[in-house]
This record gives sequence, structure tokens and C-alpha cells, in this order.
Amino acid sequence: MNRYARRLFQSVFTLFVVITITFVLYRMMPNGPIEAMQQQLVSEALAKGENPDMSYINHMVAIRTGIDPNTPMHVAYYEYMRDIILYQDFGQSIAFNAPVFEVLFYAMPWTVLVSVYGILIGFTTNIILGAVMAYYEGSIFDTGSTIVAIVLNSIPYYVGAIVFLAFLAFQWGLFPTGGRMYPDSTAGFNWYYIQGVIHHAALPILSSVLIGFGGTALSMRGNCIRVMGSNYLRVARLRGLSDGRIAVRYVGRNAILPLYTQFMIGLAGIFSGSIIMEQIFTYPGVGWYTYDALVNRDYPLLMGILIFFSVITVVGVLIADLTYGLIDPRANTGEKEGY
Amino acid sequence: MNETSIHSTRSSTSSETIFEVEDITVEFGMDRGTSRVVDNVSMEIERNEIIGIVGESGSGKSMFASTLLDAVEEPGQVTGTVTYYPEDGEPVDVLDLDEKALRTFRWEEVAMVDQGAMDSFNPTMDIETHFKETLIAHGSDVDGGMEHARELLTELYLDPDRVLGAYPHELSGGMQQRTLIALSLVLKPDVIVMDEPTGALDLLMQRSITGLIAQLHERYGITILFITHDLPLIADLADRIAVMYAFEFVELGPAYDVLKHAAHPYTRALLKAVPNTMTPLEEMAPIEGDSPDPVSVPQGCSYHPRCPLATSKCRETDPGFHDVDTARTAACFHWERSAAAVSYTLSGPNEH
Ligand code: SF4
Repeated sequence: MNRYARRLFQSVFTLFVVITITFVLYRMMPNGPIEAMQQQLVSEALAKGENPDMSYINHMVAIRTGIDPNTPMHVAYYEYMRDIILYQDFGQSIAFNAPVFEVLFYAMPWTVLVSVYGILIGFTTNIILGAVMAYYEGSIFDTGSTIVAIVLNSIPYYVGAIVFLAFLAFQWGLFPTGGRMYPDSTAGFNWYYIQGVIHHAALPILSSVLIGFGGTALSMRGNCIRVMGSNYLRVARLRGLSDGRIAVRYVGRNAILPLYTQFMIGLAGIFSGSIIMEQIFTYPGVGWYTYDALVNRDYPLLMGILIFFSVITVVGVLIADLTYGLIDPRANTGEKEGY
Repeated sequence: MNETSIHSTRSSTSSETIFEVEDITVEFGMDRGTSRVVDNVSMEIERNEIIGIVGESGSGKSMFASTLLDAVEEPGQVTGTVTYYPEDGEPVDVLDLDEKALRTFRWEEVAMVDQGAMDSFNPTMDIETHFKETLIAHGSDVDGGMEHARELLTELYLDPDRVLGAYPHELSGGMQQRTLIALSLVLKPDVIVMDEPTGALDLLMQRSITGLIAQLHERYGITILFITHDLPLIADLADRIAVMYAFEFVELGPAYDVLKHAAHPYTRALLKAVPNTMTPLEEMAPIEGDSPDPVSVPQGCSYHPRCPLATSKCRETDPGFHDVDTARTAACFHWERSAAAVSYTLSGPNEH
């Protein structure tokens, strides 16, 4: 129990540090949002031939960024923290003129849809492929798949995404080229809407599957071969256990276990991959808004997204860590086995 | 010539054969030729005896043991016959069993305790499940079987509740080894093959495990095949000892006789290397020369390159077995002279 409490505390502390860093970046970055806006307003004023009025400019900056340059740093920091932790108030998005939290809240389910299905399908195919490769170790299928896996693994996912988009969407029109649903569908529990959601998500998911494709299959293959050569497998066979039980309970479980942490951390990686992915597919999820925020210098939104991604990563790693003990009995006994 | 087959050798205490091994050869095809790791070996194992198979590592003793369960792994090729005589019922041709029959035969008739006790359990499964799945796989009564398992664990000085609820890594090496012995006995087999069952344990634990094995043997009347490189370890345990060198047996006889008046020069050299029965073999001065390569075994007597008694006859002809007395046989032309050529003294528990 102590270990769980400690891990929980570590995670909370990590998030606290992340939020502090966003604050520091926000406030003190040279040429950061405040300075940038001040300069912009000054040059705008100068361009119009007016004398820049600093107090007016500071007022404008305060409205647009939610930061009053005159507030002392420690007070500002306190308020920033308080707003985020107590009120989930990440400030106001400049570009959308809406609370950052709201923007993210509406975009999130779409990214989760694409990412989670992407990683689930990707992980499952990789595991099965790796197991089959191990079973036919040394065969042409094994060698061929290994080469394919290495090649696929070294192709960046966005290249794959563009190729998919070019052929499957633009060339052959099998999939829509962008968007999240059919424009004429009404949101709700009706087949036309759901069909549209699936149709639009298919290509982004397919590209997500490509992220890390091959790598997991190769790890799985190695793990399977290791387990299949182990003494406990030989003993299990001598004990007359059925092939099915040996495959699932012995080989499967012991080979997949080391991949579990990798899987949870991969979840975070896929979220960050969504920035480019959603841009390519014009898929308005969190990643799409991230890019938008970057282009528009929408700093409040950007900071909100940074915190959002950090939370997902930290929570993912935390869940992996806390549940690992449940699925691998060895992790609970203090000295951890090194994988 | 007083050459006889090893078949005719019988221990004086029992007479019923449980295993009959005839002309067993195990070969592996390798790049540099065929590796013959068991070379045309024959022997009989008697019901209720403890027979010790002794040899250096790589002498073929584990492979020989695997053939009794038809458990030689691919790409090993086994030829010859292994016949098992059940308590009642028809003799079983082990190497000829189909997959289903083999599954039943293993563990129900003949169980095996392997070298790597530390790696014999699924690391992500508790011990109780190991017992249960074995019972279920063989269609045995699970409740009754678990009852028996608890008895066995208790007899092996383990706390059944603690052990059954534990995961493998939570048990020490000695505990895992004893648990594996209990697991091998859970289906009440008639024969247990123990391949270096104490290999990974410290000296004290080794002796206590052999003591426990002796107790189980007495209580359940199981036939035990005990394979080891450590001759003194089985001195007090085994009824008979078979010494293996270069993929075949070189001497076989009652344990006491083999230890006290070893006939084969190799057995004598083994014993000479161990001045004290409380010292394990690997800490002792090894026998000079290398053990033969399974791809090219020397012509004639395979021990001749290392044997102080070797003559030209030895280099040319395979000696075959020579009866030393009614119960004992040795594969050596000059066994009568071996006592004078290689002397050794025994101390410790064997000095009866
Ligand atoms: S047959 Fe000859 S070489 Fe072989 S052990 Fe006997 S004396 Fe030595």
C-alpha cells in the first residue's frame, strides 16, 4: 500500500512541476506571449502613427492573455495554480474566444476515439503477428515478416498517413478526405451518424496502427521464443497440459507481460502523434487544435494542451505501474525483476 | 570370452522389470556430422529400486533419461525400444505411443523432476494452480488430488498453505525443488526420473533432499532413476549404480560393490577424484584428459585415450561387457587389473 501511495504522490508532484513549468514558460520566456503581444501592439500603434500608450497596451494584453503584467510574479503564480487546480480554469483561448477547457473538452473524445482504437488494433495485430512468427521461427514467413516489420517500423507514420490519404481517399475515394462525420448527419445514437464517425476515423486509426508497427511484433516474437525455450514450458508439456492452455497461460501471458508497460507508455506517444496526424486528416481533435494554437500563437490554449498531454502521460504511466503488480505477481515483492 | 550383455545383470534384491531399454541411440544432425549423444545403450530397471546413473556432464545421461518418457526434443532422433511394464496390464512400447497416449503415460506412470527446479514453474502462476491444472489435464479428481498434494508437501517438510498460495519466486531454491518433487508425485506415478534434482542447491540442501527422496521411496514404493554427476551423493541412496562414459554405460552393479570395488578404470578414476564423500565432484581434481566429442568417439574402448591400462586391444576393439560377478558388469578388458592400477580410498558414510 505504501508503494501505491508513494507512486501516487510522485505523479501528483510531476504534474505540479509540469504546471509550474508552463507558468514559467508562459510568463518569463524571452519573446514569450506577453512580450510578443506588447511588441505587436506597440508596432501596431506606431504603424498607425500613434504614440503607444503602455497602460492601454498592458490592459489589452491582460484581457487577451488573462495575465496582468503588473501583478507581482508570486501572486500571479498563486492565482494561476489556484485557477487550474480548483476551477479547472486554464484561461481563455485567444483564437476561439472560449475557455481553453471547453475547447479541449469537446476535442478530446475524437482524439481518444482515434488513438485508443489505433493502439488497441495495432497492439493486437502486433502481438498475434509476433506470436505466429515465433511459432514458425526460422521459416520463410518468419524471415519475411521480420524484414517487413523492420521496414514498416522505420517508415515515419505521417508518411504512411499521407500515402493512405492520397490513394485511399483522394485517388479511389474509399474514405473521406477529412472531417469527423457526414456533414448532413445529426449527432446521436443513429446508424448514419455512427457509420459516418467510423468512416471518418478509419484512416487516422489505420495510420495510428502503423505507429510502432513492427517494433512490438519483434519484441513479442523474441519474448515468445524465450518462453518457448524455458524449462517451465518443457515441464508443462511433460505434465500433459493441453496445447491451448500452454499457449495462453504459459507462452501468451509470459510473453505479453513485458510489453504491458510499453503499451501504456505508447498510449501517451500516440496522443502526441495526433498533432500531425489530425492535421493531415483534417480531423479536429486535440492534435488539430494544438497545431492551430501554435500557428495562432494561442498561448493559453497551448499551455492547456501541454498540461493535458502531461496528465495523460503521467496517468498512463501511473496506471501501468499500479496495475503491473496485479498482472505480474513478481512485481509486488519489492525487488523488481528487470525487463 | 566372458562377454555378456548388460541385460543379464540383476540386482539380488528385486527381480521384476519395470523398464526395459534396448539398443537406444539418440542422434542429432549437426553441421560437422552426426552427434550421437546416446550410443546403443541397453539396460533394465527393476520395480521399486533406486538406480543411480552417474556420469560427467555431457556424457549422455540426461538424454538417456529423456528417452524413458520419449521426451527427447526435436531435432533429436531416437532409435531402439523402450518397454514399460505396468503393475498390471500389457507392456507399453513407449517410443511408439501416439500423442494422446503419451500424454497420459507421462506423469501418470512416469514423472520427471528436471534439473532446473528454479525454472520449472510458470513465474506468473501460483503453485496451487500448477497442481490443479495437472490434475485437471489428466482427468483426476481435483479435491482428492489436492488432498494428496497437501500430504506430499507436508511429508517434504513444507507448509502446504504457504506453498500452495505462493508464487514460484516467493519460494527458495530448496522449497521449489521439494515442491516440484511433490508435483511429480501428485498423480501417483510408479516411476520418477530425477535429473540432477539437487544440481542448483547447496551441499546441505542436497543431502537433505536425498534423505527426503529415500523416505518417499520407502513410503510409496516408487521406482526412482536418479541422475547425477556426483557419485558420492547417491552412495547411500541408490540400490544400484550405472556409470556412464562417452554416451554409453561402462559399469553397472549394486551400489555398495561399485563404490567399494569399482571394476572399470573410469569409475575408479571418478572415485579417486573424490577423496571424501562429503565433497562434491566439481571441487575435486578432474580426471586427466577431455571427455569425448559426441561427433567423433574414439575407436575401440572410448575411454582408452585417458585410461592408464589401455593396450592396443583397447584401441582397436570395443570391449563389451564383462561380468565381474553375478550382479555386476563392466565394459573393460582389463578390469581385473584396474584395482592395482588406479587406487582410491573412501571415507565418510561409505566406509561401512
Ligand atoms: S577396455 Fe582398455 S582402455 Fe577401456 S577401460 Fe578397459 S583397460 Fe581402459
